[in-house]
Amino acid sequence: MLGFGYLSYWTRFIVEGFIVTLEMTALGLSGGFIIGSLLALGDVYGGKLTRILINTYVEFFRGSPLIIQLLLFYYGIPALTNYRWSAFTAGALALMLNSGAYQKGYLKGAIEAVPKDQLLAAKSLGLSFRQTLAYIVLPQAYRIVIPAWTNEFVSLGKSTAALLIIGVRELTSVGQTISSLTFRPFDTYLAIAVIYFVWIYLSLKLTEYVYDRLKIPGLGESI
Amino acid sequence: MSGEIILEGKGLWKRYGSLDVLKGVDISVRKGETKVIIGPSGSGKSTLLRILGLLEPPTKGEIYFRGENVYAGNLNLNRIRAKIGFVFQEPSLFRHLTALGNVKLGLKHVLKMKDEEAEKKAMEMLRLVHLEEWADHYPAQLSGGQQQRVGIARALAMDPDIILFDEPTASLDIELTWEVIEVMEELARKGITMLVVTHEIPFAKEVADEICFMEEGLIKECAPPEIMLRNPKTPRARSFLKRLLGAYGGI
Repeated sequence: MLGFGYLSYWTRFIVEGFIVTLEMTALGLSGGFIIGSLLALGDVYGGKLTRILINTYVEFFRGSPLIIQLLLFYYGIPALTNYRWSAFTAGALALMLNSGAYQKGYLKGAIEAVPKDQLLAAKSLGLSFRQTLAYIVLPQAYRIVIPAWTNEFVSLGKSTAALLIIGVRELTSVGQTISSLTFRPFDTYLAIAVIYFVWIYLSLKLTEYVYDRLKIPGLGESI
Repeated sequence: MSGEIILEGKGLWKRYGSLDVLKGVDISVRKGETKVIIGPSGSGKSTLLRILGLLEPPTKGEIYFRGENVYAGNLNLNRIRAKIGFVFQEPSLFRHLTALGNVKLGLKHVLKMKDEEAEKKAMEMLRLVHLEEWADHYPAQLSGGQQQRVGIARALAMDPDIILFDEPTASLDIELTWEVIEVMEELARKGITMLVVTHEIPFAKEVADEICFMEEGLIKECAPPEIMLRNPKTPRARSFLKRLLGAYGGI
């Protein structure tokens, strides 16, 4: 019989696991955002060597499974360097670097979508290159990127489930534990899936709202 | 025309790949002067303006701003750029900022004005181009002519020593052209120093101190409008003007 009453006993574990999932998503997204921004700027404005290095990095993180990256960070790097770190730290780092590689692609497109004539106009006013990035390019690129960026949120939010492979106590691994202790895999995993779904659905609605609030007439529409 | 030379190019060459776009142009603009450059497309007018506006360096030659060789030594080019206004063929407004925001940006971040002071000055500039009621509108909500006038206000706000105009009406229809030309004529009469690439002959006739004819990367001839428009010396200028004036039904 399907039923979820037994789960009330596990509420605390589920909430704790969900909080870890939230933390990991937030860390991965924000760290990836900073990394992605720097990589995108380097790829658009940097020299040839910079671009080759950046694209090698991106290809590595996009071209190999996240689970392998997690294993590499949690088991591989400590084995090589003799420096131990927690599963949480290794997992957060791997997520940031992984998400940075994806966000770089979105941000690069958004930066390139800012018309070049504005750069020339900024130059003619006497703005330095840095000022041009800070006041002209990035404020437009960050608005343009929001729709693509929500995809990354959806994808990364669900990818945090892979952290169970290195033993981070996030939502999925909590589900696995409950399921094996209660022998009710179907109800348990279904409940966990619903939690992911509701969380991601509500967050998407929120981003849509923020996007509308930040929207500027004519910006990013024709692009 | 007497008075201090504000901007001067000496022997300006520009080569893109194997193409020489400028082949040793000499040009100078004095304080208070309005100089107009005409010439067929591909003659290097826009390139010359971009080089004089320090938006790209010449391959060869020197540029003097108020007597100083700008590419010699370690001058702060951004400082000089701020003193040379530029109005582009396409309006080139910052699309995430309102008309007011566009005019304010340079005041705040280049001239380091306080927000309040910058706002006041920016409004004043929008008034000069008759757009104070449109201050809160974004570029996409303005007509091409209005956008171009915001571009003029943005350049003017920096209190430049000279403003360069690169065919500011080329992408506008006739009616919008006039509202932009009118503003430019007002500026010329106020004594703002201007170097203007345009084919608006009525404008040149009305306010230019001198018209220069450019072709194949060289300035072939400069003369006051009454001479240039009636009796240019070079045959090429004569045939070019004949065609251009034909479009205006003669002047």
